[in-house]
Amino acid sequence: MNNLKRNTILFPLLFIGLMILFIVNISFGSITIPFKEVYTSLTGGQASKSTWEYIIINYRLPKAITAVLVGMGLSISGLLMQTLFRNPLAGPYVLGLSSGASLGVAFVILGASILPSFLSGILLSPYGIVLASTLGSTSVLVLVLLVSQRLRDTMAILIVGLMFGSFTSAIVGVLTYFSSAEQLQKFTFWSMGNLGNLSWTSILILSICVLLGLFLSLLSIKPLNALLLGENYAKSMGLNFNRARFIIILATSILAGSITAYAGPIAFIGLAVPHIAKLVFQTSNHTVLFWSTLLFGAAIMLICDVISQMPGMEITLPINAITSILGAPVVIWLLVRKRNFK
Amino acid sequence: MRFSFYKILLFSVLFSFIGCKNNETKEVINAVTTTNSIQYSKSLAIHKQDGYTVVTVSNPWPDAVKNFTYILKEKKGIVPDSLKKYTQINVPLQSIVVTSTTNIPFLEMLGVEKSLVGFPHTDYISSEKTRALIDAGSVKNVGQNEKLNIEQLIDLAPELIVTFGIDNNNPTLENLQKSGLKVLIQADWMEQSPLGKAEWLKLYGILFGKEKEANQLFDNIVKEYNDAKQLVANEKPTSTVLYGSMYQDQWYVAKGSSWVAQFMKDAKADYLWKNLEGTGSLGLSFENILDKAKTASFWIATGSFKTLTELKNANPHYSQFDAFTNKSIYTFEGKLGATGGTIFYELSPSRPDLVLKDYIKIFHPELLPDYTFTFAQKLN
Repeated sequence: MNNLKRNTILFPLLFIGLMILFIVNISFGSITIPFKEVYTSLTGGQASKSTWEYIIINYRLPKAITAVLVGMGLSISGLLMQTLFRNPLAGPYVLGLSSGASLGVAFVILGASILPSFLSGILLSPYGIVLASTLGSTSVLVLVLLVSQRLRDTMAILIVGLMFGSFTSAIVGVLTYFSSAEQLQKFTFWSMGNLGNLSWTSILILSICVLLGLFLSLLSIKPLNALLLGENYAKSMGLNFNRARFIIILATSILAGSITAYAGPIAFIGLAVPHIAKLVFQTSNHTVLFWSTLLFGAAIMLICDVISQMPGMEITLPINAITSILGAPVVIWLLVRKRNFK
Repeated sequence: MRFSFYKILLFSVLFSFIGCKNNETKEVINAVTTTNSIQYSKSLAIHKQDGYTVVTVSNPWPDAVKNFTYILKEKKGIVPDSLKKYTQINVPLQSIVVTSTTNIPFLEMLGVEKSLVGFPHTDYISSEKTRALIDAGSVKNVGQNEKLNIEQLIDLAPELIVTFGIDNNNPTLENLQKSGLKVLIQADWMEQSPLGKAEWLKLYGILFGKEKEANQLFDNIVKEYNDAKQLVANEKPTSTVLYGSMYQDQWYVAKGSSWVAQFMKDAKADYLWKNLEGTGSLGLSFENILDKAKTASFWIATGSFKTLTELKNANPHYSQFDAFTNKSIYTFEGKLGATGGTIFYELSPSRPDLVLKDYIKIFHPELLPDYTFTFAQKLN
């Protein structure tokens, strides 16, 4: 009853907060645009300066939508991984997806000369980075799924994921060693994450991927709740454990893979947000956790983006710097408390 | 109490550095009796003496704490005892390793490119003359991207390695010197004035015993540069210029005192970030750039774009600028050498006169009707 009361108060509050943050995110940027102009542009009117209208409709609005998609997707995949591996420090990239994406992107930016000709034509196009990132994370996903079919132990899958991560990182390391300063700068920029610059087409593709991933996650809520009590208990409840695990890994991969492809590897959000949701709602029920993580993820990403845009300043900060600055204290606090962590 | 002790320690260390720097400069000044033959460069000083030359390189990298002094000794020259502690290099050189493509044109201008025996990452070199030497195997690849391969260099044993540092930490250079190789740190990349960058040619003139040729060549570049400047002397800088391009969320513009900004000033154009203090570049947000430069008459784009379509595909926001609609976009970095090196990076520092003429041709085409671009290309 108490919980129900809390939920009926908190959820509407969270939702309204998210709406407000969305408007705030669009209203603030390095150029100061009067709120009246923001409102006029968003409601289809004509702003007094054409550049303002363009900035709001074609730059800030897509960026805000991307922030929402990224925040939701990464937070949910973090939640899935933490429950599946029963490890509070797992995140969306624990299976080596971001390392796979990094490897794909590293080949495009740093090692274009060693790519086979039939690939380089495709990968050096404007969508090359997105394609390479998708190819990289998909390859790792396929490997992880193949291994997960063979391995019965969930922990073994986690270790395999970490191994893939180390292996691909090492290859990226070799590629960076042979790269020029400009290439390294490009690659570093990609790895710092980026929410802006997505065309409407890209946002449409990303939305479809994220919605598909979220739908698969919704299907997994029951198995996730069963998993809280351990694999054996879940099996005894009649859960088809292998199938559930497959869907959970697939959902995470679609979410984390597509987000990394378009926005780069965004740090910490996936790890920190599920814990914030658990703290605020004080429950381990995934029906509640799913929606709260979703809303918190979007809200926190919008806040991080506002900060990274440094309103009123000419310079901007990379989004990963902000997510880490906010996320790192949470992780440290978790490590300190880990002994009491259930 | 403890705090003040550390303070004193810190200051004494700092002052000892400053002291060293000043003493060294004073010593060198006392030892030379001729005037510095360098006019434009801020990081290079050359004092020609009887039988030897004192070369001082200051500010070799941002926030450098020391200067470098080299004694270039001719065959029969006698170096005074007070200068014996500095690195001594016997000139004229027969073999050299350089590590920056910007030095290749200097060697070619003086006709001594055959002395080049090694270069890190030879693919970056675009000049056909030197590429032929690489293909013939007389220029060895001695490492990757400034990461010099020490074993190869020791084996090659060039008479001098001319390289550069990017900060105070250069373990590779120390290792090379320990192995008995002569290393000269150069700082042409730190120079911000167009003629200052090109004046480093004079260093190579002395290294190869070709001072006269180097001085003549440089004087000619100065004359060409000043003649071009004279052409636009009475023009008003009416064209506004946007510079750079975006990567991810950052748009890099050149600061107001940078090498690029000075060319635009000399070519009588109104560079929109001319008042941005400092050298180098600064990353700004797209919002800022669009707000300030939507109506700019010209856009000098960085990157090797060839067409407007390519530019728009790279980033749809690019098409919002008036310069895009009016097809007034130029790039200097589109021409590549046979192995992918950017010709502009290699040749432009040594030929500021050609860079300036390219800029004048862009902003005031009527003043140079018969001139064809050396580096610049218009995006179609």
